[in-house]
Amino acid sequence: MKKLHQRIRPWLIKYLALPSDVLLGLPRITIIGQIHVYIENHQGLATYSDNELKLKTNKGYIQITGSSFVLKMMLPEEILLEGKIKEVKFVPE
Amino acid sequence: MKQTQGSSLTGYVTILVKGTSPELFFQKCIGEGLTVWNVRKTAEDECEGNIKLHDVRHVRQLKRGTDFKISFLNKKGYPFLFRRFIRKRHVVISLFISILLILFLSNIIWEVKISGVPKEIEEKISKQLDSYGIHPGSWIFSLESPNAIQQKLVEDVPELLWVGVDQKGTTFFLEGVEKIIVKEEEKPGPRNLIATKKGVIKKMYVSKGVPQVGVNDYVEPGDLLVSGIINNSEEEDEDDKKQPDLVAAAGEITATTWYEVNVTVPLKGTFEILTGNQKKQYFFSIGDFRLPVWGFRKPEFENIHRETNEENLKFFKWELPIKAGETILREKINTKSNRTKEEAVQAGINQAINELKLQLGPKAQIISQKVLHEAIDNGKVKLNLYLNVEEDIAKVQPISQGD
Repeated sequence: MKKLHQRIRPWLIKYLALPSDVLLGLPRITIIGQIHVYIENHQGLATYSDNELKLKTNKGYIQITGSSFVLKMMLPEEILLEGKIKEVKFVPE
Repeated sequence: MKQTQGSSLTGYVTILVKGTSPELFFQKCIGEGLTVWNVRKTAEDECEGNIKLHDVRHVRQLKRGTDFKISFLNKKGYPFLFRRFIRKRHVVISLFISILLILFLSNIIWEVKISGVPKEIEEKISKQLDSYGIHPGSWIFSLESPNAIQQKLVEDVPELLWVGVDQKGTTFFLEGVEKIIVKEEEKPGPRNLIATKKGVIKKMYVSKGVPQVGVNDYVEPGDLLVSGIINNSEEEDEDDKKQPDLVAAAGEITATTWYEVNVTVPLKGTFEILTGNQKKQYFFSIGDFRLPVWGFRKPEFENIHRETNEENLKFFKWELPIKAGETILREKINTKSNRTKEEAVQAGINQAINELKLQLGPKAQIISQKVLHEAIDNGKVKLNLYLNVEEDIAKVQPISQGD
Protein backbone atom coordinates (compact mmCIF):
# COMPACT_ATOMS: atom_id res chain seq x y z
CA MET A 1 0.00 0.00 0.00
CA LYS A 2 2.71 2.45 0.98
CA LYS A 3 4.68 1.69 -2.13
CA LEU A 4 1.80 2.52 -4.36
CA HIS A 5 1.37 5.69 -2.40
CA GLN A 6 4.95 6.71 -2.99
CA ARG A 7 4.83 5.84 -6.63
CA ILE A 8 1.71 7.75 -7.33
CA ARG A 9 3.08 11.04 -6.00
CA PRO A 10 5.73 11.73 -8.65
CA TRP A 11 3.14 10.77 -11.19
CA LEU A 12 0.72 13.34 -9.81
CA ILE A 13 3.39 16.02 -9.89
CA LYS A 14 4.32 15.19 -13.42
CA TYR A 15 0.91 14.91 -14.99
CA LEU A 16 -1.30 17.08 -12.88
CA ALA A 17 1.32 19.80 -12.20
CA LEU A 18 0.68 19.82 -8.47
CA PRO A 19 3.26 21.65 -6.31
CA SER A 20 6.04 19.31 -5.36
CA ASP A 21 6.71 20.78 -1.92
CA VAL A 22 3.24 20.00 -0.74
CA LEU A 23 3.14 16.48 -2.02
CA LEU A 24 6.63 15.42 -1.09
CA GLY A 25 6.90 17.37 2.17
CA LEU A 26 10.04 19.14 0.98
CA PRO A 27 11.10 22.56 2.21
CA ARG A 28 10.32 25.56 0.03
CA ILE A 29 13.06 28.12 0.13
CA THR A 30 12.55 31.63 -1.19
CA ILE A 31 15.60 33.83 -1.41
CA ILE A 32 15.31 37.54 -1.99
CA GLY A 33 18.62 38.87 -3.24
CA GLN A 34 21.25 38.48 -0.61
CA ILE A 35 19.20 39.77 2.27
CA HIS A 36 16.23 37.48 2.94
CA VAL A 37 15.72 33.75 3.05
CA TYR A 38 12.27 32.41 3.64
CA ILE A 39 12.07 28.74 4.50
CA GLU A 40 8.77 26.95 4.73
CA ASN A 41 8.08 23.40 5.66
CA HIS A 42 11.14 22.84 7.80
CA GLN A 43 11.17 20.61 10.81
CA GLY A 44 12.97 22.58 13.42
CA LEU A 45 16.02 24.58 14.25
CA ALA A 46 19.26 22.69 14.68
CA THR A 47 21.78 25.47 15.24
CA TYR A 48 21.57 29.18 15.05
CA SER A 49 24.23 31.80 15.51
CA ASP A 50 25.18 35.16 14.10
CA ASN A 51 26.64 33.66 10.94
CA GLU A 52 25.03 30.26 10.58
CA LEU A 53 21.57 28.73 10.51
CA LYS A 54 20.93 25.02 10.27
CA LEU A 55 17.44 23.71 9.81
CA LYS A 56 16.20 20.17 9.92
CA THR A 57 14.09 18.88 7.04
CA ASN A 58 12.70 15.42 6.34
CA LYS A 59 15.80 14.61 4.26
CA GLY A 60 18.82 16.02 6.00
CA TYR A 61 19.62 19.64 6.85
CA ILE A 62 19.68 23.00 5.17
CA GLN A 63 22.69 25.05 6.15
CA ILE A 64 22.77 28.77 5.47
CA THR A 65 25.89 30.75 6.16
CA GLY A 66 26.55 34.47 6.02
CA SER A 67 26.82 37.26 8.53
CA SER A 68 24.70 39.37 10.89
CA PHE A 69 21.80 36.98 10.92
CA VAL A 70 18.50 37.88 12.57
CA LEU A 71 15.50 35.60 12.65
CA LYS A 72 12.87 38.11 11.64
CA MET A 73 10.07 35.69 12.32
CA MET A 74 9.73 32.20 13.70
CA LEU A 75 6.62 30.13 13.25
CA PRO A 76 6.16 26.36 13.74
CA GLU A 77 7.03 25.55 10.12
CA GLU A 78 8.34 28.78 8.72
CA ILE A 79 11.38 30.92 9.31
CA LEU A 80 12.31 34.28 7.85
CA LEU A 81 16.01 34.97 8.02
CA GLU A 82 17.48 38.38 7.49
CA GLY A 83 21.13 39.24 7.07
CA LYS A 84 23.89 38.95 4.53
CA ILE A 85 23.63 35.52 2.93
CA LYS A 86 26.66 33.85 1.51
CA GLU A 87 25.54 30.33 0.70
CA VAL A 88 22.73 27.84 1.07
CA LYS A 89 23.80 24.25 1.36
CA PHE A 90 21.94 20.98 1.56
CA VAL A 91 23.63 18.64 3.98
CA PRO A 92 22.60 14.99 3.83
CA GLU A 93 22.07 13.13 7.06
CA MET B 1 4.88 39.28 9.04
CA LYS B 2 1.15 39.08 9.50
CA GLN B 3 1.69 37.30 12.78
CA THR B 4 3.61 40.15 14.32
CA GLN B 5 1.22 42.82 13.13
CA GLY B 6 -0.70 44.51 15.86
CA SER B 7 1.70 43.26 18.48
CA SER B 8 2.52 46.82 19.43
CA LEU B 9 -1.15 47.24 20.23
CA THR B 10 -1.41 44.16 22.38
CA GLY B 11 2.09 44.57 23.75
CA TYR B 12 5.26 42.57 23.36
CA VAL B 13 8.32 41.77 25.41
CA THR B 14 11.93 41.26 24.44
CA ILE B 15 13.41 38.37 26.36
CA LEU B 16 17.04 37.42 26.79
CA VAL B 17 17.76 33.72 27.08
CA LYS B 18 21.00 32.56 28.65
CA GLY B 19 22.32 29.03 28.57
CA THR B 20 23.96 26.58 26.23
CA SER B 21 22.54 26.86 22.68
CA PRO B 22 19.78 29.27 23.69
CA GLU B 23 18.23 29.17 20.21
CA LEU B 24 16.83 25.81 21.12
CA PHE B 25 14.63 27.48 23.66
CA PHE B 26 13.04 29.50 20.90
CA GLN B 27 12.68 26.31 18.90
CA LYS B 28 10.80 24.94 21.86
CA CYS B 29 8.60 28.00 21.90
CA ILE B 30 7.57 27.72 18.27
CA GLY B 31 7.03 24.07 18.78
CA GLU B 32 4.34 25.11 21.25
CA GLY B 33 2.79 27.39 18.67
CA LEU B 34 4.03 30.73 19.97
CA THR B 35 5.11 33.49 17.66
CA VAL B 36 8.69 34.62 18.03
CA TRP B 37 10.36 37.34 16.02
CA ASN B 38 13.51 39.37 15.72
CA VAL B 39 15.60 36.62 17.16
CA ARG B 40 19.22 37.65 17.43
CA LYS B 41 22.20 35.90 18.86
CA THR B 42 24.22 38.38 20.79
CA ALA B 43 26.81 36.01 22.23
CA GLU B 44 27.63 32.30 22.27
CA ASP B 45 25.30 31.65 25.19
CA GLU B 46 22.90 34.56 24.81
CA CYS B 47 19.98 35.00 22.49
CA GLU B 48 17.26 37.59 22.48
CA GLY B 49 13.89 37.66 20.79
CA ASN B 50 10.42 39.18 20.97
CA ILE B 51 7.37 37.41 22.24
CA LYS B 52 3.82 38.54 22.67
CA LEU B 53 2.69 39.81 26.04
CA HIS B 54 0.01 37.19 26.54
CA ASP B 55 2.54 34.46 25.79
CA VAL B 56 4.78 35.43 28.70
CA ARG B 57 3.12 33.04 31.12
CA HIS B 58 3.46 30.23 28.61
CA VAL B 59 7.16 30.99 28.19
CA ARG B 60 7.68 30.88 31.95
CA GLN B 61 6.02 27.49 32.02
CA LEU B 62 8.32 26.27 29.26
CA LYS B 63 11.36 27.52 31.13
CA ARG B 64 10.60 25.34 34.09
CA GLY B 65 12.70 22.26 34.13
CA THR B 66 15.36 23.63 31.79
CA ASP B 67 18.64 25.33 32.63
CA PHE B 68 17.88 28.44 30.59
CA LYS B 69 17.74 31.74 32.33
CA ILE B 70 15.31 34.28 31.06
CA SER B 71 15.37 37.99 31.68
CA PHE B 72 13.01 40.57 30.31
CA LEU B 73 14.67 43.45 28.50
CA ASN B 74 12.08 45.65 26.88
CA LYS B 75 8.42 46.11 27.38
CA LYS B 76 6.74 47.75 24.49
CA GLY B 77 3.27 48.41 23.23
CA TYR B 78 0.04 49.97 24.22
CA PRO B 79 -0.66 48.04 27.47
CA PHE B 80 2.64 49.17 28.96
CA LEU B 81 2.10 52.72 27.79
CA PHE B 82 -1.33 52.64 29.30
CA ARG B 83 -0.06 51.28 32.60
CA ARG B 84 2.65 53.94 32.72
CA PHE B 85 0.06 56.58 31.97
CA ILE B 86 -2.34 55.33 34.64
CA ARG B 87 0.45 55.48 37.17
CA LYS B 88 0.67 59.27 36.68
CA ARG B 89 -2.36 60.16 38.72
CA HIS B 90 -2.39 63.90 38.13
CA VAL B 91 -2.25 63.53 34.34
CA VAL B 92 -5.21 61.18 34.44
CA ILE B 93 -7.15 63.50 36.70
CA SER B 94 -6.43 66.53 34.56
CA LEU B 95 -7.46 64.66 31.43
CA PHE B 96 -10.67 63.61 33.09
CA ILE B 97 -11.37 67.15 34.25
CA SER B 98 -10.66 68.62 30.85
CA ILE B 99 -13.05 66.20 29.20
CA LEU B 100 -15.66 67.10 31.77
CA LEU B 101 -14.99 70.78 31.13
CA ILE B 102 -15.41 70.39 27.38
CA LEU B 103 -18.63 68.50 27.97
CA PHE B 104 -19.81 71.20 30.33
CA LEU B 105 -18.86 74.09 28.07
CA SER B 106 -20.35 72.57 24.97
CA ASN B 107 -23.66 72.21 26.74
CA ILE B 108 -24.20 75.83 27.67
CA ILE B 109 -25.27 78.69 25.48
CA TRP B 110 -22.42 80.96 24.57
CA GLU B 111 -24.14 83.55 22.49
CA VAL B 112 -27.57 84.70 21.44
CA LYS B 113 -27.51 86.63 18.22
CA ILE B 114 -30.50 88.65 17.18
CA SER B 115 -30.62 90.19 13.75
CA GLY B 116 -33.01 91.89 11.41
CA VAL B 117 -34.84 94.04 13.96
CA PRO B 118 -34.21 97.51 15.39
CA LYS B 119 -32.39 97.97 18.69
CA GLU B 120 -35.38 98.43 20.94
CA ILE B 121 -37.12 95.29 19.69
CA GLU B 122 -33.84 93.44 20.00
CA GLU B 123 -33.79 94.52 23.62
CA LYS B 124 -37.36 93.32 24.10
CA ILE B 125 -36.63 89.98 22.51
CA SER B 126 -33.56 89.43 24.63
CA LYS B 127 -35.54 90.29 27.76
CA GLN B 128 -38.24 87.87 26.74
CA LEU B 129 -35.62 85.21 26.03
CA ASP B 130 -34.15 85.87 29.46
CA SER B 131 -37.50 85.10 30.99
CA TYR B 132 -37.58 81.79 29.09
CA GLY B 133 -34.11 81.06 30.44
CA ILE B 134 -32.28 81.56 27.18
CA HIS B 135 -29.20 83.65 27.81
CA PRO B 136 -25.47 83.12 27.58
CA GLY B 137 -24.53 80.70 30.34
CA SER B 138 -27.69 78.60 30.54
CA TRP B 139 -27.90 74.89 29.85
CA ILE B 140 -28.81 73.90 26.34
CA PHE B 141 -30.58 70.68 27.27
CA SER B 142 -32.93 72.45 29.66
CA LEU B 143 -34.38 74.51 26.82
CA GLU B 144 -37.39 73.89 24.67
CA SER B 145 -37.09 73.15 21.00
CA PRO B 146 -36.42 76.09 18.69
CA ASN B 147 -39.88 75.74 17.20
CA ALA B 148 -41.57 76.17 20.58
CA ILE B 149 -39.40 79.16 21.38
CA GLN B 150 -40.31 80.63 18.03
CA GLN B 151 -44.01 80.35 18.69
CA LYS B 152 -43.72 81.71 22.21
CA LEU B 153 -41.69 84.67 21.07
CA VAL B 154 -44.15 85.64 18.37
CA GLU B 155 -46.96 85.45 20.93
CA ASP B 156 -45.16 87.41 23.62
CA VAL B 157 -43.56 90.14 21.55
CA PRO B 158 -46.39 91.86 19.69
CA GLU B 159 -44.00 93.86 17.51
CA LEU B 160 -42.75 90.69 15.86
CA LEU B 161 -44.35 89.44 12.70
CA TRP B 162 -42.12 86.40 12.45
CA VAL B 163 -39.01 85.13 14.14
CA GLY B 164 -36.69 82.36 13.09
CA VAL B 165 -34.85 80.55 15.85
CA ASP B 166 -31.87 78.53 14.83
CA GLN B 167 -29.49 76.73 17.11
CA LYS B 168 -26.01 76.13 15.80
CA GLY B 169 -23.86 74.43 18.37
CA THR B 170 -23.60 76.73 21.33
CA THR B 171 -25.01 79.77 19.56
CA PHE B 172 -28.62 80.78 19.10
CA PHE B 173 -29.37 82.75 15.98
CA LEU B 174 -32.59 84.69 15.94
CA GLU B 175 -33.82 86.46 12.90
CA GLY B 176 -36.83 88.65 13.36
CA VAL B 177 -39.16 90.51 11.08
CA GLU B 178 -40.76 93.55 12.58
CA LYS B 179 -44.44 94.22 12.34
CA ILE B 180 -45.07 97.68 11.05
CA ILE B 181 -47.82 99.08 13.17
CA VAL B 182 -49.54 101.90 11.40
CA LYS B 183 -50.94 104.34 13.89
CA GLU B 184 -54.24 105.91 13.16
CA GLU B 185 -53.94 109.56 12.49
CA GLU B 186 -54.77 111.61 15.49
CA LYS B 187 -57.99 113.44 15.29
CA PRO B 188 -57.16 117.10 15.27
CA GLY B 189 -58.91 119.29 17.76
CA PRO B 190 -61.12 122.17 16.76
CA ARG B 191 -59.20 124.77 14.84
CA ASN B 192 -59.35 127.69 12.45
CA LEU B 193 -57.28 128.43 9.40
CA ILE B 194 -55.59 131.83 9.31
CA ALA B 195 -53.39 133.60 6.78
CA THR B 196 -49.63 133.66 7.14
CA LYS B 197 -48.88 136.23 4.48
CA LYS B 198 -50.54 139.10 2.85
CA GLY B 199 -51.91 138.35 -0.56
CA VAL B 200 -54.88 138.14 -2.85
CA ILE B 201 -56.86 134.94 -2.68
CA LYS B 202 -56.87 133.08 -5.93
CA LYS B 203 -58.37 129.70 -5.19
CA MET B 204 -60.15 128.19 -2.23
CA TYR B 205 -60.78 124.61 -1.42
CA VAL B 206 -62.41 124.11 1.99
CA SER B 207 -63.06 120.55 3.09
CA LYS B 208 -64.21 121.40 6.60
CA GLY B 209 -65.28 124.59 8.25
CA VAL B 210 -66.94 127.81 7.23
CA PRO B 211 -65.04 130.02 4.77
CA GLN B 212 -64.78 133.61 5.95
CA VAL B 213 -63.20 135.14 2.86
CA GLY B 214 -63.88 134.90 -0.84
CA VAL B 215 -61.81 134.70 -3.99
CA ASN B 216 -60.02 137.97 -4.91
CA ASP B 217 -60.17 139.19 -1.28
CA TYR B 218 -57.03 140.83 0.06
CA VAL B 219 -55.84 139.30 3.31
CA GLU B 220 -53.27 140.37 5.85
CA PRO B 221 -51.26 137.95 8.02
CA GLY B 222 -53.41 136.67 10.88
CA ASP B 223 -56.72 137.15 9.11
CA LEU B 224 -59.28 134.40 9.63
CA LEU B 225 -59.69 132.37 6.45
CA VAL B 226 -61.79 129.38 7.48
CA SER B 227 -63.61 129.22 10.77
CA GLY B 228 -63.97 126.05 12.76
CA ILE B 229 -67.07 127.27 14.57
CA ILE B 230 -70.30 126.25 12.94
CA ASN B 231 -73.33 128.05 14.29
CA ASN B 232 -76.49 126.04 13.99
CA SER B 233 -78.51 128.41 16.09
CA GLU B 234 -79.56 130.56 13.12
CA GLU B 235 -81.51 127.80 11.55
CA GLU B 236 -83.17 126.55 14.69
CA ASP B 237 -84.89 128.28 17.48
CA GLU B 238 -83.15 131.40 18.54
CA ASP B 239 -84.44 131.05 22.05
CA ASP B 240 -82.37 128.27 23.40
CA LYS B 241 -78.76 129.18 22.75
CA LYS B 242 -76.98 126.05 21.73
CA GLN B 243 -73.31 125.57 22.08
CA PRO B 244 -71.77 126.11 18.66
CA ASP B 245 -70.35 123.03 16.96
CA LEU B 246 -66.61 122.98 16.77
CA VAL B 247 -64.80 121.34 13.88
CA ALA B 248 -61.25 121.11 12.72
CA ALA B 249 -61.16 123.39 9.74
CA ALA B 250 -59.23 121.99 6.81
CA GLY B 251 -58.62 123.22 3.36
CA GLU B 252 -56.23 124.76 0.93
CA ILE B 253 -56.20 128.49 0.33
CA THR B 254 -54.04 129.52 -2.57
CA ALA B 255 -53.20 133.20 -2.81
CA THR B 256 -51.05 135.40 -4.99
CA THR B 257 -48.22 136.90 -2.99
CA TRP B 258 -45.35 139.13 -4.04
CA TYR B 259 -41.75 139.45 -3.15
CA GLU B 260 -39.05 141.98 -3.82
CA VAL B 261 -35.60 140.51 -4.22
CA ASN B 262 -32.19 142.13 -4.63
CA VAL B 263 -29.50 140.21 -6.54
CA THR B 264 -25.97 141.08 -7.59
CA VAL B 265 -24.30 139.24 -10.45
CA PRO B 266 -20.63 139.70 -11.40
CA LEU B 267 -19.90 140.23 -15.08
CA LYS B 268 -16.60 138.33 -14.88
CA GLY B 269 -16.39 134.90 -13.40
CA THR B 270 -13.77 132.21 -13.00
CA PHE B 271 -14.49 128.60 -12.42
CA GLU B 272 -12.61 125.32 -12.33
CA ILE B 273 -13.19 122.30 -14.50
CA LEU B 274 -11.73 118.88 -13.77
CA THR B 275 -10.38 117.18 -16.86
CA GLY B 276 -10.70 113.66 -15.53
CA ASN B 277 -6.97 112.95 -15.40
CA GLN B 278 -6.15 111.73 -11.95
CA LYS B 279 -3.47 110.04 -9.92
CA LYS B 280 -3.55 108.38 -6.53
CA GLN B 281 -0.93 108.55 -3.82
CA TYR B 282 -0.95 106.44 -0.70
CA PHE B 283 0.70 107.22 2.60
CA PHE B 284 0.88 106.48 6.29
CA SER B 285 0.90 109.37 8.70
CA ILE B 286 1.75 109.77 12.36
CA GLY B 287 0.78 113.18 13.61
CA ASP B 288 2.09 115.65 11.00
CA PHE B 289 4.66 113.31 9.52
CA ARG B 290 3.70 111.59 6.29
CA LEU B 291 5.36 108.51 4.94
CA PRO B 292 4.51 107.99 1.30
CA VAL B 293 3.95 104.39 0.35
CA TRP B 294 2.91 104.45 -3.28
CA GLY B 295 2.80 107.02 -6.02
CA PHE B 296 6.05 108.98 -5.66
CA ARG B 297 6.18 110.57 -9.08
CA LYS B 298 4.84 114.01 -9.56
CA PRO B 299 1.88 114.15 -11.90
CA GLU B 300 2.40 115.60 -15.37
CA PHE B 301 -0.29 118.22 -14.92
CA GLU B 302 0.26 121.56 -13.24
CA ASN B 303 -3.04 122.66 -11.82
CA ILE B 304 -3.98 120.17 -9.19
CA HIS B 305 -7.10 119.66 -7.15
CA ARG B 306 -6.19 117.61 -4.11
CA GLU B 307 -8.52 115.37 -2.21
CA THR B 308 -7.23 113.55 0.87
CA ASN B 309 -8.93 110.76 2.74
CA GLU B 310 -7.45 109.46 5.95
CA GLU B 311 -8.44 106.66 8.23
CA ASN B 312 -7.09 105.50 11.55
CA LEU B 313 -5.59 102.06 11.67
CA LYS B 314 -7.05 99.69 14.18
CA PHE B 315 -5.50 96.98 16.28
CA PHE B 316 -8.40 94.76 17.33
CA LYS B 317 -10.64 97.42 18.80
CA TRP B 318 -8.07 100.03 19.72
CA GLU B 319 -7.33 102.86 17.37
CA LEU B 320 -3.69 103.43 16.66
CA PRO B 321 -2.20 106.90 16.24
CA ILE B 322 -1.15 105.85 12.75
CA LYS B 323 -3.33 106.86 9.88
CA ALA B 324 -3.50 105.36 6.44
CA GLY B 325 -4.62 107.62 3.69
CA GLU B 326 -4.77 108.33 0.04
CA THR B 327 -4.53 111.54 -1.89
CA ILE B 328 -6.28 111.87 -5.19
CA LEU B 329 -4.67 114.41 -7.47
CA ARG B 330 -6.97 115.61 -10.19
CA GLU B 331 -6.07 117.85 -13.08
CA LYS B 332 -8.08 121.04 -13.23
CA ILE B 333 -8.45 123.86 -15.68
CA ASN B 334 -9.30 127.37 -14.66
CA THR B 335 -11.70 129.01 -17.06
CA LYS B 336 -12.66 132.61 -17.10
CA SER B 337 -15.89 133.82 -18.51
CA ASN B 338 -17.07 137.26 -19.48
CA ARG B 339 -20.78 137.87 -19.53
CA THR B 340 -22.69 140.49 -21.33
CA LYS B 341 -25.15 142.60 -19.44
CA GLU B 342 -28.14 140.70 -20.81
CA GLU B 343 -26.66 137.37 -19.81
CA ALA B 344 -25.89 138.69 -16.36
CA VAL B 345 -29.46 139.93 -15.94
CA GLN B 346 -30.86 136.56 -17.04
CA ALA B 347 -28.50 134.75 -14.66
CA GLY B 348 -29.59 137.07 -11.85
CA ILE B 349 -33.29 136.40 -12.49
CA ASN B 350 -32.70 132.64 -12.55
CA GLN B 351 -30.72 132.88 -9.37
CA ALA B 352 -33.46 134.86 -7.64
CA ILE B 353 -36.16 132.42 -8.76
CA ASN B 354 -34.17 129.44 -7.57
CA GLU B 355 -33.50 131.00 -4.21
CA LEU B 356 -37.13 131.89 -3.70
CA LYS B 357 -38.28 128.43 -4.70
CA LEU B 358 -35.91 126.96 -2.17
CA GLN B 359 -37.37 129.26 0.47
CA LEU B 360 -41.05 128.62 -0.28
CA GLY B 361 -41.00 124.91 -0.95
CA PRO B 362 -42.04 122.84 -3.93
CA LYS B 363 -45.73 123.73 -3.88
CA ALA B 364 -45.22 127.40 -4.57
CA GLN B 365 -45.39 128.51 -8.18
CA ILE B 366 -43.72 131.60 -9.53
CA ILE B 367 -46.03 133.23 -12.01
CA SER B 368 -44.20 136.31 -13.18
CA GLN B 369 -41.11 138.32 -12.52
CA LYS B 370 -40.25 141.86 -13.33
CA VAL B 371 -37.03 143.80 -13.13
CA LEU B 372 -37.79 146.96 -11.23
CA HIS B 373 -34.34 148.43 -11.29
CA GLU B 374 -30.94 147.47 -12.64
CA ALA B 375 -27.53 149.13 -12.26
CA ILE B 376 -23.94 148.29 -13.18
CA ASP B 377 -21.47 148.98 -10.45
CA ASN B 378 -17.82 147.82 -10.17
CA GLY B 379 -18.26 145.13 -12.80
CA LYS B 380 -21.37 143.80 -11.11
CA VAL B 381 -24.98 144.01 -12.13
CA LYS B 382 -27.34 144.90 -9.32
CA LEU B 383 -30.95 143.89 -9.86
CA ASN B 384 -34.10 144.71 -8.00
CA LEU B 385 -36.72 142.12 -8.87
CA TYR B 386 -40.42 141.86 -8.27
CA LEU B 387 -41.84 138.35 -8.22
CA ASN B 388 -45.42 137.13 -8.20
CA VAL B 389 -45.98 133.79 -6.51
CA GLU B 390 -48.98 131.53 -6.01
CA GLU B 391 -48.81 129.58 -2.76
CA ASP B 392 -50.81 128.11 0.08
CA ILE B 393 -51.04 130.69 2.84
CA ALA B 394 -53.27 128.83 5.28
CA LYS B 395 -52.03 128.07 8.80
CA VAL B 396 -53.69 126.08 11.53
CA GLN B 397 -54.79 127.91 14.68
CA PRO B 398 -56.42 125.86 17.39
CA ILE B 399 -59.59 127.24 18.97
CA SER B 400 -59.28 127.54 22.70
CA GLN B 401 -62.47 126.26 24.26
CA GLY B 402 -62.04 128.45 27.27
CA ASP B 403 -62.85 126.10 30.10
